[in-house]
Amino acid sequence: MNPLSRRSWLRHTSLGFGFTALAGLAHQEAVAAKPSFDNPLAPKEPHFPAKAKRVIFLCMRGGPTHVDTFDYKPDLEKYAGKSPGEVATEAGGLNGQKGRKLAPSIFPFQPRGESGLPISDAYPKLSEHADDLCLVNGAYTGIPNHPQALVQLHTGNFQFVRPSMGAWTLYGLGTESQELPGFITVKPPARLGGAQNYGSGFLPAVYQGTKIDDVRGGNGIGNISNGRFDEELQRKQIDLLQSMNRELAEKHAANSQLDGVIESYELAFRMQSAVPELLDLSSETSATLDAYGIGGDGDDFGRQCLLARRFAEAGVRFVELTHEGWDMHGNLKQKLTQNARATDGPIAALLADLKARGLFEETLVVWSGEFGRTPAVKKADGRDHNATGFTMWMAGGGVKGGIRHGATDPFGIAAVEDKFHVHDFHATALHLLGLDHTKLTYRYAGRDFRLTDVYGRVAHDVIG
Amino acid sequence: MNRLATFALLLAVASTATAEEADKKGLEFFEKHIRPVLVTQCYECHSVRSKEAKGKLLLDTRMGIRHGGESGPAVVPGDVDGSLLMEALRYESFEMPPAKQLPASVVADFAKWIEMGAPDPRDGKSALVRREIDIEEGRRFWAFQPVTAPEVPTDDTGWSRSDVDRFVHAKHAENGVEPVADATPTALVRRVYLDLVGLPPTPAQQDEYLNDPTPEKFAEIVDRLLASPRFGERWGRHWLDVVRYAESTGMERNFTYPHAWRYRDYVVDAFNADKPFDEFVREQIAGDLLPADSLEERTERITATGLLALGPKSLNERNREQFVMDVADEQIDVTTRAFLGVTVACARCHDHKFDPFPQRDYYALAGVFTSTNTFYGTGGGNGNRQVGQLLAVSAEGVSTVRTNGGGNGGKNKRAALAKQLKKARTRLETAKKQSAKNPGNKSIQKRLEVAETQVARLETQLAKVRRQERQAAGAEETGTKPVVLMGVRDGQPGDTTLRIRGEIDDRGDSVPRRFPQVVTRGHEPIGEGSGRLEYANWIVADDNPLTARVAANRIWSHLFGAGIVETVDNFGVNGGRPANAELLEHLAVRFRENGWSTKSTIREIVTSRTYQLAVAESVSASEVDPDNRLVWRANHRRLEAEVIRDATLQAAGTIDLEPAEASPVARVGDGNVGRGIDADRFATNSTKRSVYLPIVRNAVPESLAVFDFPEPSNISGRREVTTVPTQALYMLNSPFVLQQSSAMARRLLAEEMEDAERVELAYRLTVGRLPGTSERDRGLEFVALAAKGEMDRETAFAGLCQALIASAEFRYVE
Repeated sequence: MNPLSRRSWLRHTSLGFGFTALAGLAHQEAVAAKPSFDNPLAPKEPHFPAKAKRVIFLCMRGGPTHVDTFDYKPDLEKYAGKSPGEVATEAGGLNGQKGRKLAPSIFPFQPRGESGLPISDAYPKLSEHADDLCLVNGAYTGIPNHPQALVQLHTGNFQFVRPSMGAWTLYGLGTESQELPGFITVKPPARLGGAQNYGSGFLPAVYQGTKIDDVRGGNGIGNISNGRFDEELQRKQIDLLQSMNRELAEKHAANSQLDGVIESYELAFRMQSAVPELLDLSSETSATLDAYGIGGDGDDFGRQCLLARRFAEAGVRFVELTHEGWDMHGNLKQKLTQNARATDGPIAALLADLKARGLFEETLVVWSGEFGRTPAVKKADGRDHNATGFTMWMAGGGVKGGIRHGATDPFGIAAVEDKFHVHDFHATALHLLGLDHTKLTYRYAGRDFRLTDVYGRVAHDVIG
Repeated sequence: MNRLATFALLLAVASTATAEEADKKGLEFFEKHIRPVLVTQCYECHSVRSKEAKGKLLLDTRMGIRHGGESGPAVVPGDVDGSLLMEALRYESFEMPPAKQLPASVVADFAKWIEMGAPDPRDGKSALVRREIDIEEGRRFWAFQPVTAPEVPTDDTGWSRSDVDRFVHAKHAENGVEPVADATPTALVRRVYLDLVGLPPTPAQQDEYLNDPTPEKFAEIVDRLLASPRFGERWGRHWLDVVRYAESTGMERNFTYPHAWRYRDYVVDAFNADKPFDEFVREQIAGDLLPADSLEERTERITATGLLALGPKSLNERNREQFVMDVADEQIDVTTRAFLGVTVACARCHDHKFDPFPQRDYYALAGVFTSTNTFYGTGGGNGNRQVGQLLAVSAEGVSTVRTNGGGNGGKNKRAALAKQLKKARTRLETAKKQSAKNPGNKSIQKRLEVAETQVARLETQLAKVRRQERQAAGAEETGTKPVVLMGVRDGQPGDTTLRIRGEIDDRGDSVPRRFPQVVTRGHEPIGEGSGRLEYANWIVADDNPLTARVAANRIWSHLFGAGIVETVDNFGVNGGRPANAELLEHLAVRFRENGWSTKSTIREIVTSRTYQLAVAESVSASEVDPDNRLVWRANHRRLEAEVIRDATLQAAGTIDLEPAEASPVARVGDGNVGRGIDADRFATNSTKRSVYLPIVRNAVPESLAVFDFPEPSNISGRREVTTVPTQALYMLNSPFVLQQSSAMARRLLAEEMEDAERVELAYRLTVGRLPGTSERDRGLEFVALAAKGEMDRETAFAGLCQALIASAEFRYVE
């Protein structure tokens, strides 16, 4: 359908777009009839062929301990109770860390899968996917404070208010879903930068993330249901409204925004049924619910993970989930056991589900906190903030599985090999999405800004 | 792996994988053999960090080494003999390093490296090749040229009504563009009300003009609107966008600014009073340093400096100096962009990439702000490492105060102290008893002493808090309570040092305080204090080419939906060029001639024929100028979020036009939003105008956020316009729109009239016109559903009203 006839169709038919959708026109056909107006959210071509179509970012808020989970350090066992400085020469020139004593992992590590990737017993279920995981052991940020580190992880910059990674992604690629927001963040922390972590900064506001705070009810997104009319009456009201809009669009043919307004009401009308449907998990089988741990240990995060899969299926470009409580200065063993139990099953189920539905290859799954935790401790059973080295992992979306990328020193204190800064993470993630991080720019205040500012290097080694 | 890579290199197969492999190999070679030599042997004289790049040659970036210095490129990839660096290392022409020639093996490594194509990962953006900014050259750019009064063109076509028209029409003629017809009176009266006071005309106000649509009547209405207190609420909000007004720090610890609203009120009042813009500038930058004839005036002028205090702040910052420099940076940014339309803050880490602002200009200006103390007053605790004080202004003078706790903060502190005291007293009692039983026991004696000290300390603290509370309460009653404000005062005056690459600890030499050189040819010397007053005076000086142009352009932009220079906050090289340079000069000159009067400038513009054009199409004109840069028609503009909300309230008849007292943020008081203070606590059912809604960073009210309210940490002279389904959902389902449309329905039903008249009234209240016959019938048909028992009449009318409020026509102005 050429744009002109679509425009006149939109303007002249008294039924409009919504009616056809109501009449049961397949979703794909509706998408194929792309809006002719300059929709900032319309799907855009990447800079080069993309490996990943979308991102699911599992944010482990608080700074998960890497040496107890994904960064195997046998030397911690060997030198347990010693200060890193004491064994410096043997271990490779580490100094400092006064008053700290090396503490071995709470959980034993095992080689997993065919690749033999070492993962601790904290994650038995996730370990079954070891051959798909790329453990980025050389990650670092240099900022040992939660707020700044979290904001930097999300926006690349903690000094100024900048667009979040999800907003940049949406700006670069648009969204495939005509019924859902393109960037959804589930239960983001209200503090530590709050909305900045999913904000659009200087980018147009359409690119900001939509927050879903409630994963149990059907009302996760604001203003999604009408308290006045049932669907039929509301449709009549919208028809009245759209007749006015069409007349105005007719009068001001040069103003394409008016077509956008007409379209937006039809999209909104569809979202009203699509969103609650998507948030309603009752259509899932009990086997699926069990696999995600819903009703059990992983109830909350399990729901988040299941929603993430549903969003991915529906074409949402960027999904972020948050699991809180990784700031383990004390009660390390108990808290880590509890957190691992609450997330291991759900994450493993998510990976399995994505694979089963053929979505895994095109979905980049990222697991990360804002930093890691100190391998050498001041008091037993608690680790402090470690920003010089930590682990994030990636899977799917064109990432090479079953490998460790980069490394920390023998104790896990600092990244020393293939160091992977947060900027490098951003550059690499954008690259997988088919975007060149140096070319994805937006002009603001007289200069071209980018997510990685003047930094960032794509880690080609992690790409399969 | 290594052998495999070498093998691949030898084969030199042109596949991506092997090319990447080769790249990697080359970079490894560079890291192992080249970089260490450059660092140890060359950087001392040839890097950004060296005092003076010898021969203007920098070897510390790829760009630098390839671009070279005065003698030409140092390295030509692939061309060993053509690379000057090789000549120097071989001691053929230059002899480098000068002390001693490097070993032959090292020189050979360099040759090999250049042969490999000189792979080099050192991306040059952070350490740019040093180039001297030529200030004289920079002054030739249009924006830095002096403002000169242009000759008013003649127009013998009879089209023009004013000088503004003559400038505009001259450009029409020059480009062969015919302007479209004038707007209808219906469209024009709605336009001028919305533009000047941000509220649509009521039916009576519509009739006033429609019954007498003459230029005289129009002028009379314009004067009345300019005199209305609603004008300052509308135009003050425009300014609040520019100066990133908000009531919390934003960033990672989002602490409230419970006193920020006073600055908001100052701005609204300033626009209502038509405060001359030069005075407005002086007050906001240096109000504390200006003389004042009365306590009222002093308070007002210090309130104005709130501009410098209410920016976003990173309170969790550990390093005090970093914090101070970040605050100064933000102050440089807001003052240069808001008043001058230039981005001096870009020169923090290096010379400005595009505009003639050397890094030294930045630090010269930074000295002014590091000589200034900023009082932003945030509560403590909760990860706030940079607690700020406030200013208290009273008849006795200006003093600094800690935050008064505001809201519940103070009470919480008192309660906590009381609890601690109770515990300490219990400990003391126990210790006393034990001591009585075991006289002479040293450890018990010690415990007793500690408990006594604790009790005494807590009693003193609690008494102090109680005294403060009593004083505050008493002062409030007697009216002698000082006004507590955000603002600035001079601190210890002194210059600051240049920071290499903007790094706090990497100090260059001290830079004397002065103002960006390119803008004017000098300024009054900075006297005793910080230099803020001199800075303000320089901004509004007669020979400052930017200030009047930038301000006049902002006014134009608000009235037409696009500036004469489209990038209203950036008049630099990367900004736009004026679409009609003579017109901009004319407006800038007139602005100053009229005593920097915003109202006079607005009056001059809106009474022009240009402002009164229709939103119409013209095939021939849009071929020449599709973006309407020459203003041959009016732009069809989406209204701002505030106007949409206010117009909804007005249509519903629920709007409360009394200005707000303070702000919900003041009532909530000190605290960290999202931790301690739930963002929901700022929610308000107020039906006051939107300018009075609480603007908390990261928690902007939905009614504003949904229609592109700008990020309140950013300086935004021009708003985005997006069209997205969340707006439609808001219009269809939000409690606000549902409630207001019901109120409007009740209002209609309360009128003694036929339903057809009700439909007509509904149209006039929302879109400011009567419905056409078919529109009216459709409206009636919808309402008639009520008669069929599908819903009650109020609901039916509410549905109609909601459709009108949701319509594109309601949220656009012709």
